Amino acid sequence: MKLFEFSEVVRYLPELWVGLRFTLLLVFASLAIGTVIGLLVCFGRLLGRGLLVRLCAIYTTIFRGIPEAVLMFWLYYCGPLLGGVRPSSLMAALVAMSLYVGALLSEIFRGGILAVPRGQAEAARSLGVPEFWVWTSVILPQAFRIVIPALIGVAALTVKVSGIASTIGVTELVFQANVIGGQSYRYFELFTAVGVFYFLILFPMSMIAKGYERRLMTRRK
Amino acid sequence: MERDQKPAPIVVCTKVCKRYGTFVALRDVNLDVSKGEVVCIVGPSGGGKSTFLRTINGLETIDSGTICFDGITIPGPARNVGLIRREAGMVFQSFNLFPHMTVRKNLILAPVRARGLSHAEANERAERLLKRVGIASQIDKYPDQLSGGQQQRVAIARALAMEPKVMLFDEPTSALDPEMVKEVLEVVRELAASGMTMIIVTHEMGFAREISSRVVFMVEGSIAVDAPPEQFFNAPSEPRLESFLSKVL
Amino acid sequence: METTPTIEDDDSSIVDVVPNTAPGVLRQVRQSLDPVSVIVLVAIAIGAYNFIDWSQIGTLDFGIIIKFWRPLATAAGMTIAITAAALACGLVIGIVLAILLELRIGFLRYVLNAYIEIWRNTPLIVQLFWVHFGLPMLTGISTTALQSGLLALTLQSSAYLADIARAGIQAVPRGQWDAAMALSLPARTKWLEIILPQALKVMIPPLGNLAVSFLNGSALLGVLSVGELMTISTRISDYTSKPIEIMTVVALIYLAINVATTYLTNRLERFAGAPR
Repeated sequence: MKLFEFSEVVRYLPELWVGLRFTLLLVFASLAIGTVIGLLVCFGRLLGRGLLVRLCAIYTTIFRGIPEAVLMFWLYYCGPLLGGVRPSSLMAALVAMSLYVGALLSEIFRGGILAVPRGQAEAARSLGVPEFWVWTSVILPQAFRIVIPALIGVAALTVKVSGIASTIGVTELVFQANVIGGQSYRYFELFTAVGVFYFLILFPMSMIAKGYERRLMTRRK
Repeated sequence: MERDQKPAPIVVCTKVCKRYGTFVALRDVNLDVSKGEVVCIVGPSGGGKSTFLRTINGLETIDSGTICFDGITIPGPARNVGLIRREAGMVFQSFNLFPHMTVRKNLILAPVRARGLSHAEANERAERLLKRVGIASQIDKYPDQLSGGQQQRVAIARALAMEPKVMLFDEPTSALDPEMVKEVLEVVRELAASGMTMIIVTHEMGFAREISSRVVFMVEGSIAVDAPPEQFFNAPSEPRLESFLSKVL
Repeated sequence: METTPTIEDDDSSIVDVVPNTAPGVLRQVRQSLDPVSVIVLVAIAIGAYNFIDWSQIGTLDFGIIIKFWRPLATAAGMTIAITAAALACGLVIGIVLAILLELRIGFLRYVLNAYIEIWRNTPLIVQLFWVHFGLPMLTGISTTALQSGLLALTLQSSAYLADIARAGIQAVPRGQWDAAMALSLPARTKWLEIILPQALKVMIPPLGNLAVSFLNGSALLGVLSVGELMTISTRISDYTSKPIEIMTVVALIYLAINVATTYLTNRLERFAGAPR
């Protein structure tokens, strides 16, 4: 069997395309839901009192401390326990990823907000600006600018984590590559191709994030 | 028969106390400021001057005592602090301009959001005030494009945009390079001459002597001396004040 | 795996202070049960009551855990051992890479940077499959699952650690390099006794994050049946047909390991930061 038969990979493009669609679905959906969760948990931790703060802290600890693979498995098998219905592997993977992304984002948002200099909020409040506008006009815009690199990092991480969904049977890119590999034995070409593909998506993201970081550093006086 | 010589005080602080854990930052601070007065607070670092100033507009909480600002009292209903903040303008040592907004937006944010002015009215006010502090031409620049002295003048204009009854200055020139201190003091001087009630925490002794109606000496969390400038600087009544003055003058 | 920092200090001074008299005991209790917290708690309670299949929970047999505690404990040890080994090797390689990069040899920089970027910007699971299934086809050497797993983890961790090491080395103040040069210290002494110890101190927090990331990543080795915690847990789940109990406990074990790791990292940070 000759090596580097990449034409073989081209043969399986339709299957790989199916996988890619699932990957994109997982990534975008979990980023969207994760953002909502992240915002809720972040504000719960910052603005809440007592119990709410504790709950949010526990949430982030749990969902960053459990491997995504375990979480996906758990949801897949324990689904009936929670809702009476057996979730599809896609559902389980989506929920698991959303919860994980939510935990990451809540920490990132919180870090960004706490990184805004205290004097900004003080100045806005001492001017008599109502609290709502102190947040939306002064604190959050600056916090957002601060966390852009980290947000890109989370997006990249989500792409990487999506591959784990293959372990519970979601037919995304890695899963498809495995299946095709089983049929054609072209493991080397396949995984190289898939690896290159992921790289072509993730590397630019990493460069953009680094560029932003550098700009942020020089902007500060 | 007693007659009130001075108009009724607009700021009345009575027995204000504040502690951080076991450290007592303010102990039984009493201060009255009448309309039109310029009160300068001086003293060694860590004496509580900034802390006290910040209790007046609620940036620091107090553990006991009362602060009465133009009839509004702390402690009191939660909205009192918001009401006080609208009538008290504060200028910070580190300017605290909003870096992601132009000078113009810095100035109109509060009048629009807190006083409900229209954008047109707020803009007109902003332009007028920037002209007053001497930097009308920078109105559409961003703070990081301005020098320190210019930024502080913008900060003063920003506070004035709310048309406050009292202006609070927290060491306004301490973070400035020496050549820029003068331009800021010039603005403060003009403000005092126009009759604005002001409480200024400062290290600029010459300036304090020149413009204040009264000078207050704060040390170890309480007010030790409260006297008109001639008496304060020429005939210090307290040994701690004497030693402080001998070090800084 | 990317790492995002954990923020420990709860500095809520950016939130507005509420001016009040000092809260009495009763008020403090009342404060911790503020309206929003109560609503959230009630919502959780209602959700738990309605959605959770309590009857099924009754049938759960957690005694299974006790029966299988030994394989589980061994597997947990495997997980820790594998992660530690991969991180240790990765650290050595990463530091070497960082030092080589610091030497600024033209073409070598490109090669090394390419290596780092490749291993950082591809998913671990793809790397795993590539090393285990693809690499043998290239090299003719076929590796066991454990070897593949360790290799993939080590290579990826070396890329991340090279970056972390680079940041750590650059954090060492310029003056230290100048002093070493002025004293004519040989390169080995300079690196081993001056630069690296100071760099390592800075590297501890991101190292801790990376440790957690890779502990979680080691779970992926389960797909290759390497014998660490994830492998064993799926095997026992299939064997006993009680996935819920096993998976729950395994999740808790991972959580415990990670929390312990984070705690140890914090202690290490404090210990390293203390002598000033």
